[in-house]
Formats: sequence, C-alpha cells, structure tokens
Amino acid sequence: MSDVADRIRKVTVETLKVDPGRITDDSRFVEDLGAESIQSVELVAAFEEEFDIEMDEEAALGVKTFGTAVEFISAMLSA
Amino acid sequence: MSNEIKYIALNKDQIRIMESQNCSAENWADVTVAENFNAANVVNSTFLGKVQIGSVDGKVPGAHGLAKPCGIYNSAISNCTIGNGTRIANIGVHLANYNIGNNVAIGNIGTMHTNPGATFGNGVEIDVVNEAGGREVMIFDELNVQMAYIMCLHRYRPEVVKNLKSMVSDYTESKRSDRGTVGDGSIIYSVSDIIDINIGSYATISGAASLYNGTILSEQDAPSLIGSEVIARNFIVGESSQITSGAILAHTFVGQGVQIGKQYSAENCLFFANCEAFHGEGCSAFCGPYSVTHHKSTLLIAAMFSFYNAGSGSNQSNHMYKLGPVHEGKVLRGTKTGSFSYMMWPCRVGPFSVVLGKHTGTFDTSDYPFSHLDARHDGKCAMVPGLHLTTVGTVRDGAKWPTRDRRKGSVKRDIISFDVFSPYTVGKMIKASSNLKTLMQETDKSIDEVSVGGAIVKRLILRTGQKFYRSGIHMYLLEKVIDKVEAAIDNGIALKDALKNSDNAVFSDEWVDIGGQMMPQQRLTDLHSAIEKGSAKTVNCFAGLTQKIADSYYDDEWVWAKNAYKTVFDVDLDTVTKSDIAEIAKTYLAVKSKFLKLVVIDAEKEFAELSHCGFGQDGSPEDAPKDLEGVRGTYEGNKFVKDMKADIAALQTRIEGFEQKLAKV
Repeated sequence: MSDVADRIRKVTVETLKVDPGRITDDSRFVEDLGAESIQSVELVAAFEEEFDIEMDEEAALGVKTFGTAVEFISAMLSA
Repeated sequence: MSNEIKYIALNKDQIRIMESQNCSAENWADVTVAENFNAANVVNSTFLGKVQIGSVDGKVPGAHGLAKPCGIYNSAISNCTIGNGTRIANIGVHLANYNIGNNVAIGNIGTMHTNPGATFGNGVEIDVVNEAGGREVMIFDELNVQMAYIMCLHRYRPEVVKNLKSMVSDYTESKRSDRGTVGDGSIIYSVSDIIDINIGSYATISGAASLYNGTILSEQDAPSLIGSEVIARNFIVGESSQITSGAILAHTFVGQGVQIGKQYSAENCLFFANCEAFHGEGCSAFCGPYSVTHHKSTLLIAAMFSFYNAGSGSNQSNHMYKLGPVHEGKVLRGTKTGSFSYMMWPCRVGPFSVVLGKHTGTFDTSDYPFSHLDARHDGKCAMVPGLHLTTVGTVRDGAKWPTRDRRKGSVKRDIISFDVFSPYTVGKMIKASSNLKTLMQETDKSIDEVSVGGAIVKRLILRTGQKFYRSGIHMYLLEKVIDKVEAAIDNGIALKDALKNSDNAVFSDEWVDIGGQMMPQQRLTDLHSAIEKGSAKTVNCFAGLTQKIADSYYDDEWVWAKNAYKTVFDVDLDTVTKSDIAEIAKTYLAVKSKFLKLVVIDAEKEFAELSHCGFGQDGSPEDAPKDLEGVRGTYEGNKFVKDMKADIAALQTRIEGFEQKLAKV
C-alpha cells in the first residue's frame, strides 16, 4: 500500500468514523462507508488539508470509491 | 356604477305591486328607483330609511355560477344604494348601510351592515415580529411590503416610523365612511355576518362564517375569493387572493396573490405577495413575498420571512418565561426549514440557507448565504457556509418564483427583486469569504472548530466555504460584464462606453433587502430622509419613491458589480481592452458551465442508489430502480436535468456568438 493510500485511509477513518478494515479499493464512500452529503464535503476538505491540494469540485464529485480517490490524489500530487 | 344611475320616486303602481307581494317600507317616499324599475321583482321585503334600487330585470350569475333573476327577495334593507342588474335574496336579519354595485348577487346572508365611521380594516395596528409589541404595523388596503418592513423594523428611525404612521392615519381617514361598498360583479352568499366590510369588484364570498372590519380588494382581472367557514376580523385581503376552507384571520394583512386555507390560523400576521399558508399557525409573523407554509403543526412566530419554505413541524419560540415574548427572528430570503426544525429566537438566518434540527442556541449567520445550518446534539448550530450555492433546490426556487407570480390586475403593490445572485447576496459572499479566510489563517490546525456568529464551523470547512463562495462571486461578476458588453454591442454602443456607469446610479458597498426589494444602503438612507423631511407625505408618494428605486436597480447593480470586480479581480473595468473582454468571456463560460454542471451532479443524487431506498416494495433489489424509474422517470429524462443541460449548451452557443460579435466590433 502506498503512502498516499495510507494517508487517504487515515483521513477517511477519522472523518467517517469507520473501521479501517472495512475499507477496500472498491469501497464506495457514500453507499459503503456512509458518507452523507456533509461528510463528503468534510472528506474532500480533509484530503485537501492532508495533501495541501485544492480539489476541483466537479472532479472531486466524480471520485466515488477509495481506489479512485487514491488515483485522483496521486495524479494531482505528481502533476 | 350605481352612482351614475338616476334614481326617481316610485309611482303608485309600483308601490301597489310591491305591497301586493308582501313588501313594506318605513316611508315609500324614501325608496327611489331606476327609471326602468320593475316592481314585480321585489318580493317579501322591507325597506328602512333611504333606499335606492336600480333596474332589476334579467338574471345575474350567483352561487356556483347559476344565474338567477335579479330583484330583491325576502330581505330587510336599510339605507342602501343598489345598482342595476343585482339580486339580493334571503337576508336573515338585515342589509344596511351599503352601496352595492351593478350585477351583484347577494343571497342567504345573516347580517350585512356598516357601522357609523367604519374604516374597513384600515388603520388597524398589528403586533408583528415582536409579539410583545413595539413593532406595530398599521395596515391599510394599499399597504406594500416595503412600507410595512420599514414601519416594523426601522424603529431606530423614530421620525420615519412616526411619519409613515401619519400617512396611514391620513389614508384611513379618507376611507372612513358610514357606508360600506360592494363592487360590480361580486357574488356573496351563505355568510352569517358581514360587518364593516368593503368588498371590491368581482369578489366571491362563499360560505364564510364571519367577516368583521375588513377590506376585500378585488377586480375583474384579479378577483378575490373568501371561502367556506372563514372567520376574519380586523383584516385586509388583496386582489387575486384566496382565503378558504376554515381559515381564521385576526388582525392580519393579506396582500396580493396570497392563498390561505385548510384551517390555517393567523393572528397579528402580515402576508405579502404570493404567500401560501395552509394547516398551520402564524403568530406575529411578517411573511414577505413567497413565504410558504403548507403543513400541520408548523408555527411561524415572531419573525420575518421572505421567499421562505417551512417544512412540516417547523417551529420557533420567542421567550423562555422571563420577560415575556420579546425575542425575534430574522429569516432572510430564500431559506428553508426542514421537518421539525426549531429555532429559539433570537436568531438571524442568512439568505438561501437550509435549517435542520433543533437549534437551542442563538446564532447570526446573516452574512453567510446559501449555508447549511444543522443543529448538533447539544443544540448548537453547525454551519457549512455556502453549501447550497449549487444545490438543485436553490436553482429551482430561483427559476420558479418569477413564473409563479399570481398577482393579476392593474397594480402590483409589493416590489420584488427576484435575482438569487445580486449585490445583496454576492456582497455577503465576498464578506463571508474574507471572514472565512481570516479565520482559517488565524486558527491553529489543532483546533477542530471555530465559532462564526454563534454557529460552529469545522476548521477544515473554512477553506471549503471560501471555495463555494468564490465560484458564486466569480460567476456573478463575470456574467454582469458579459451581459453589459453584449447589450452594448447589440445596441450599437461603442465598447469604450459599454461599461460606463449610469449618471443615475447610486453606489453603496452594502445592499439591503427591504421586504423583497433589494437596493443600495444609500437608497434606503435617502428614502428614510425623504420620509423624515416630509417630502414623501402620502402613501402614494411612498409607493412612487420605492418604484423609482426599483427602476434604478440595474444601474445601481452595475456600479456595484464594477466596483466589486475591482476588489475581487483587481481589474479596473474602465481600462479593459477588447482582448481582455474576450478573455473574460472564456473565463465566464468555464465558471458558469462548471456551476451548472455541479447543479446537474446534485440532481443526479436524486437518482443514485441511496435514493432507491423506499422503492421496489415487495420486489427484488433489482425492482427498486425500475420502480423509481416508473415513478420519477430517469435521470436523463428528468425535465430539470434536461433544462440544465440545455442551459449549458445554450451558454456555449451564447459565448461563441458573443465572441464573434466582439470580433467584429
């Protein structure tokens, strides 16, 4: 597991208060991890702070799973 | 009109015919009639005092549209003037002291009379917003929301309030009369008591229980309806309004295009244009335009609202058993309160916010529009600033209000600015964004949350709120520039003049929302001054001044937008070139497209998997989306989604066209 993935997992656990063991690449933030509307906003904010990035709102809304979050943020960091 | 009819004395034959039909008069000489009066149509009736009767031939539409013969049947009539083509039948006690127009049908009434010196609801003082008093609004039949707002809320300008009240007193005196009126074409039937009521033209009063001291404005193109079991005391009802099905109004003003019914009860309330109130209760509520409450157990108390939507069980309280009901709420335009939401006044809710849960703490989020205000378990307000900027509900509301103006007829009294994005809201967003930035910079990362106007904001969200607001601010400012330049090109105005300010424009950094009319602070100050100095002395003068302010809205808006553009982008629009404008157009296209796409994405949530919950009853999991589709249709086929996508395409086309036009300049 990459450092980015670990950090995303940590942020996800802290924000959504979920068991880290439940998080897989395919875990959907809304349906599987219970990120309600406000929590989704908080999650994006937490990712932004963790990685010191600003996620485009439209693109961020397209990030549905843990795995795509890792890809998305990794791509932003390497850009 | 009945006052145009020449009334002459009855002849002997006419008196004989009427007496043979069981009619009597205190003095037949005091009964005068139209020249073509047909005595055969006056039966079993008694005349007291001076009574004038028009022609009574033909039929007139009455209850449920059924036309019945004109005439006077089974009635006692005292001191009335009656027009042509009118039917009065079955008056139980008496009909006294009324001027009744042409083609009126009045039937099955208990008592209908006017007391000496009646003012018909004009001049009644209503204890609005502050239930304990101190913010009384004097109502009258031409009251508009702007006057009520200033009279109610600007008590820090006592001379203004005093002079406004003086205007209303003068107006009330002009309406004082010993005679009530019923306008042409009105239909009034099955009402127990109508006391001191002026009734406009083409009104229908059907089955009301009791009406006392009021005016029902109505005209042919804007008829009003008072329906079954309605009880109203000390009231005004405006044109195009409907008060129906057991509504109870006490000390209440109802403006134009309002619908109140289904046992709604209101005391000391004001309802302005296009409000809707059903089932619930209003108490000292100032309901500005488009305030809507549809559900039982919803109480609106001691607060001001506009463009408001109350979820079921919305509730507020204005005292905690201390000095009485002295607290107030200000719910700024466009706000919604969710089911069983509660706010303990005093609070001030920012425009276009959504309030959920039970708030037992005071907060003021007035400078944080489009916010999500959720009550935490400890009753404190948790705010996500700007969250609802791109939500479907906000966009839908903004689009629907102008299309749902029920006010018909010759006059629209309340001045309404419909724009969701305006100097008022965008100015607040600029201020909010700056505040959030400062807080973010000053708050250590070890801190989880901060207090903003008494509301709690998670530190992480401070940056998100800025992001939300930034998109709204940019979209608005860029759009204003493109609108201005495009209009100039279309009207053959040189580009160098396109972005100039109007000489008429007034600039204020702060804008205010005066009961639905947005204006620069300076315009309000000038209005106050005009009232204080006595240059506006009548209610008509006041209406004229507010209309003038409305006429200047776009000039004032532009000077504000231009100034804000300099602040936000550090660009002086007086110095921009053609290529700068081309760049602005490109940026605008990107920003607005993104905004619209975010709204579309928000709409998509309505069709997402979580929304399937509740669908597919008794079927397999695969049946849920099919059931949803059967009920709600598909995401792709949804009208709103299609409209939004069409808007995105139209925007692209518009900007391409704009760029071509700009290139030719």
